[in-house]
Amino acid sequence: MAQLFTPGADAVYRLALMTGVACLVGLPVLAAGIVRSNYVTGVGIAPAQPVPFSHKHHSGELGIDCRYCHTTVDKVASAGIPPTHTCMTCHSQIWTGSDMLKPVRDSYAQDKPLEWVRLNKLPQYVYYNHSVHVTKGIGCSTCHGDVTSMQMTYRANAFEMQFCLDCHQAPEKYVRTPDQVWNMTWKPPADQATLGPKLVAEYHIRGGSRLTECGICHR
Amino acid sequence: MTSGSDIASLREKLAGSDGPRFWRSLDAVADSPEFRDYLAAEFPSAARLAASPERRGFLKLMAASFALGGLTACGGGASRDYEVPYVNQPERIVPGTDLSYASSAVFDGFGNGILVTTRNGRPLKIEGNPEHPWSLGGTDVLAQASVLGLYDPFRSQAVQHLGKPSSWAAFRAELQAQMPAWHAAGGEGIAVLTGPVTSPTVAAQIARMRAAYPASRWFVGGGAGREAIYEGARRAYGRPLETIPDFGRARTIVALDGDFLDLGPGQVGLSGRWSAGRRAAYAEGRLLSLHAAAPTPTLTSAKADHAVAVPEGRLEALAHDLLGVAGGGAAPGGDDPVSRWVRGAAKALTEARGAGIVTAGLTASPDLHALVHRLNGALGNTGATLRHAAPVVEHGAGTLAELAEAMERGAVKVLIVLGANPVYDAPAALDFAARMERVPLKIHAGLYADETGAHADWHLPTAHPLESWGDVRSLDGTVGLIQPTVAPLYNGRTLQDMLAFLTDGRGSEGGADALGLVKARWRKEGEDAAAFEARFADALRRGFFPDSAGAAEDVALTQEAPPVPPAPAPGGIEVVFRPDPTIWDGTHADLAWLQELPKPLTKIVWENVVALSPHLAEREGIAMGDIVRVEADGRAVEGAAWILPGQAAETVTLSLGYGRNVPDHLSNGLGYDAATLRPVATPWRLTGARLTKTGRRRMPATTQNLGTMEGQDIVRVQALGAAPVGDPKDAAAPASFYPPPERQLTGEAAQWGMAIDLDACIGCNACVTACQAENNIPVVGREEVALGRWMGWLRVDRYYAGDLDAPATHFQPVPCMHCEQAPCEVGCPVEATLHDSEGLNLQVYNRCVGTRTCQSYCPYKVRRFNYLDYTGGMTPVQQQQRNPEVTVRARGVMEKCTYCIQRIAAARITSAKDAHAPIPDGAVETACQGACPTRAITFGNVADPGSRVSAARKDPREYALLGHLNTRPRTTYLAGLAPAADPTGREG
Repeated sequence: MAQLFTPGADAVYRLALMTGVACLVGLPVLAAGIVRSNYVTGVGIAPAQPVPFSHKHHSGELGIDCRYCHTTVDKVASAGIPPTHTCMTCHSQIWTGSDMLKPVRDSYAQDKPLEWVRLNKLPQYVYYNHSVHVTKGIGCSTCHGDVTSMQMTYRANAFEMQFCLDCHQAPEKYVRTPDQVWNMTWKPPADQATLGPKLVAEYHIRGGSRLTECGICHR
Repeated sequence: MTSGSDIASLREKLAGSDGPRFWRSLDAVADSPEFRDYLAAEFPSAARLAASPERRGFLKLMAASFALGGLTACGGGASRDYEVPYVNQPERIVPGTDLSYASSAVFDGFGNGILVTTRNGRPLKIEGNPEHPWSLGGTDVLAQASVLGLYDPFRSQAVQHLGKPSSWAAFRAELQAQMPAWHAAGGEGIAVLTGPVTSPTVAAQIARMRAAYPASRWFVGGGAGREAIYEGARRAYGRPLETIPDFGRARTIVALDGDFLDLGPGQVGLSGRWSAGRRAAYAEGRLLSLHAAAPTPTLTSAKADHAVAVPEGRLEALAHDLLGVAGGGAAPGGDDPVSRWVRGAAKALTEARGAGIVTAGLTASPDLHALVHRLNGALGNTGATLRHAAPVVEHGAGTLAELAEAMERGAVKVLIVLGANPVYDAPAALDFAARMERVPLKIHAGLYADETGAHADWHLPTAHPLESWGDVRSLDGTVGLIQPTVAPLYNGRTLQDMLAFLTDGRGSEGGADALGLVKARWRKEGEDAAAFEARFADALRRGFFPDSAGAAEDVALTQEAPPVPPAPAPGGIEVVFRPDPTIWDGTHADLAWLQELPKPLTKIVWENVVALSPHLAEREGIAMGDIVRVEADGRAVEGAAWILPGQAAETVTLSLGYGRNVPDHLSNGLGYDAATLRPVATPWRLTGARLTKTGRRRMPATTQNLGTMEGQDIVRVQALGAAPVGDPKDAAAPASFYPPPERQLTGEAAQWGMAIDLDACIGCNACVTACQAENNIPVVGREEVALGRWMGWLRVDRYYAGDLDAPATHFQPVPCMHCEQAPCEVGCPVEATLHDSEGLNLQVYNRCVGTRTCQSYCPYKVRRFNYLDYTGGMTPVQQQQRNPEVTVRARGVMEKCTYCIQRIAAARITSAKDAHAPIPDGAVETACQGACPTRAITFGNVADPGSRVSAARKDPREYALLGHLNTRPRTTYLAGLAPAADPTGREG
């Protein structure tokens, strides 16, 4: 009777066994890596927009305040996307012939809204309110990154639950004085460890586990 | 389950001392093995998981969804979302925030003040308008469901000519070609049929049209009609009048076939005033007692302290008896329930001369109305507790019968039907469809391409009231304004547009001139333009013209009292017709919310039944669910029998609104069409009918046995002057095996709680519909309800007490109790239900894995599980109604009442931003609370001793449901009131 197994069979068997173990460990790791990758979360990826609007130029170099365009960020849940009219307040006077701005002029002339590609999106069972965060000393850049350095705007953070919880568990690490909320390059000052808790008390931010109760964000 | 032969044993059980004091269904009383199995199953629905696939409503919705599928394709790219701002931001519209407009809800031509909450330009929710002098902030089920009506995919969406799609331009061209001939003939042969008209603008337009076509005729049909009320006033006072009771001044009320608490144009205003009167009387330590006699149980008789079932045919004789006593005669002797009731009512009325109210309902005969006027006159109530005013409905129109007769003669050349559906709702004896065929040109305008639309040459879509300008009067005459909250979705036109076009051939180009028509009607002669604009803008902001209610008129009895009617001949069965308590006359039959709303007394959904008394069921051997045949004058209807406790012995009730014949519509083929049997002369009553069994059976779907709470102290009744039935306020917390809750229940955080006054709850269901609108609650269809999968977060339980033939009825709304020691939280393996520091029992949908353990642990049975993807099949247009502040739940997720956490969050954020002030009392109003016309629900912070809910909880009537379980519910109840120390809420 001929040999059932060739001399190499052992090696193949060991290889298969090791591959199996590697897959068992590796595939979940790979899958976890993929879902956290920028490819999936969209972090750092700047999609093409109808107009190549630069936050770096407008907000960083020209110093236009966030609230000039995002008018309701300190008033209601949504920060607000500016109507074409807001663009035209300046661009009816400057860069009136620019090719780059043609879609804006067309939108205004034809009364057809611009369609911006959405960057930041939360699941439908999460409810976020800009105004309460801004008025309680959470700055724009904490979530949106330093947009004054973004030539084309991209998503700065993947808004997964852990990201929100980091702050909701320890708001004193992130809370700023009111004048610093709009500062895009804010870094925690050296005395944040003492200033933070003081600000949390001043803002009446409810401590304990209140901010991590499910009903705060989910309803 | 319950058959006629069992009824004798049911009576025995109820009479015996071991019988249940409060009961919910005949099956529960019978306590049959089947019923025990049903209860023991805990989840009856799980037994038939792979039930029949036939879910009629669903498939229809799916079909509509395919038809509208093209719309989704316009939505944008597949993987990317877009943010689309305005080009020019409109003033006041802030994306993602609510904006409310004052407007009016229209019910049978009558108005109630509403506030329409819109968001991003879409109307989402109806709230009551607290400033409105008639409706006082309450709403009814039809107003709450009107937002669904706006987005209803079954609405007519295009002009049709001979059943084929056409256009407004084609319609205009054809009519403009004919109009010169119409004018030349002075309008000879033109007949215009409308629904009841209270709108001053429309009335002015009709007058103008009749001036343009002097020989034309105007008819009114549809709705429940108030002819009997006006005719009754004519027989008493010589002219038609409205009668408005003032419950605030009354000390006793007698309702004969009374409907002031039932669904109807007056329900919101009247029930609110009644409960305010009753509350004021309770504060003075007395009871505003209500005596009711009716052939079939209604909400009015259910709330009565002394109710008796009397055949419709005997009500006039009964009124004569009362009149005799009021005039100093003797009360009738006899020991039957009716005589006892008459003695009680007569005693109460004569003791409260000048402070009593006798009312008769919409469905009462003209003679009964006339007798009630005489009775009030004899008792000195007229002018004291009752106000008379000119009719709100415009008069001078012909009736449907006259129109049918004119069509039969061939005298109608052009029939213009505006917002009515006579082919469906005219009595079959008029043979309206066949007679309509004799008319050469038939034009129908309506929200739906209904039965009349199918028989018309032209069908025109009308604009929904939420898309229209207009005006309307309330029962008291207050003029409410209707303003559009969204541009017409389907290019529909208003009735004013069409009347203007028909009059002079111009207009109907769009809604632009509708506002002009309303303004033209209200600008006084010689009024300064700026002053008028200011006055109109003020009225628009309020939603009504202040002080526009009809003036009280002095009345004097002119006519002779109607004669005592002869005793009805024995033999044959009396049939009474009633508008359906959820879909009314069928106009709203396509609204799935209303179809799935359990009818207040039967708790049946998706169909109408033949309601009969236990006595009749026993005699004829009829069981619940037997298909029975009701025959008269050679016509017959067949429907499922339903044994209704409290029904007059020989009376059968048929309800309107079902048996629709509109292919592909939601309502098509549900139930039977009661109009088949309706007599023309007496539209609410038929005598000499025959009732037979067909031998077939079909059990109606009901929520009656859902979450049965037998053998417990669920409903409590506080007899006046008796020891308080509420929980003792100073009692120590019962001993518990569990450690006290760790969470701090006082301190900085608000502690939410609710108090529900069972004495004020009339079981009208407005809260249930409001909850559905606010919280994106899905409709599941008849088959799913039959499996016990009704999804409502708030249910209104109905309990009976006492004997089978004349039970006392109690309503009890049951939302989530938000127990401080919630049993459901113990059961969840993934902590998807847990408490927050404000005392809310949270349900976290994204954590829930659907074990349903919480549902089985809940002693109140208020949790609902998404067995199927109930929301996935919604059409894009229906999705527009969804409240964006509330998660749309997916399949496999548990859900329940959240105390409207989205409203709490909004108030919390507002106060947090506003100098961290505590949330003021009244800043959070739950959807159910806001909708309630009788203000039965109070919600607020129970940790604040000054809040309204804390005040309500101090009432000695306050008690917790199943409090002995030590769940410490945050929702508590105030016991209903009863006249004497009688535990059943009934006096002998």
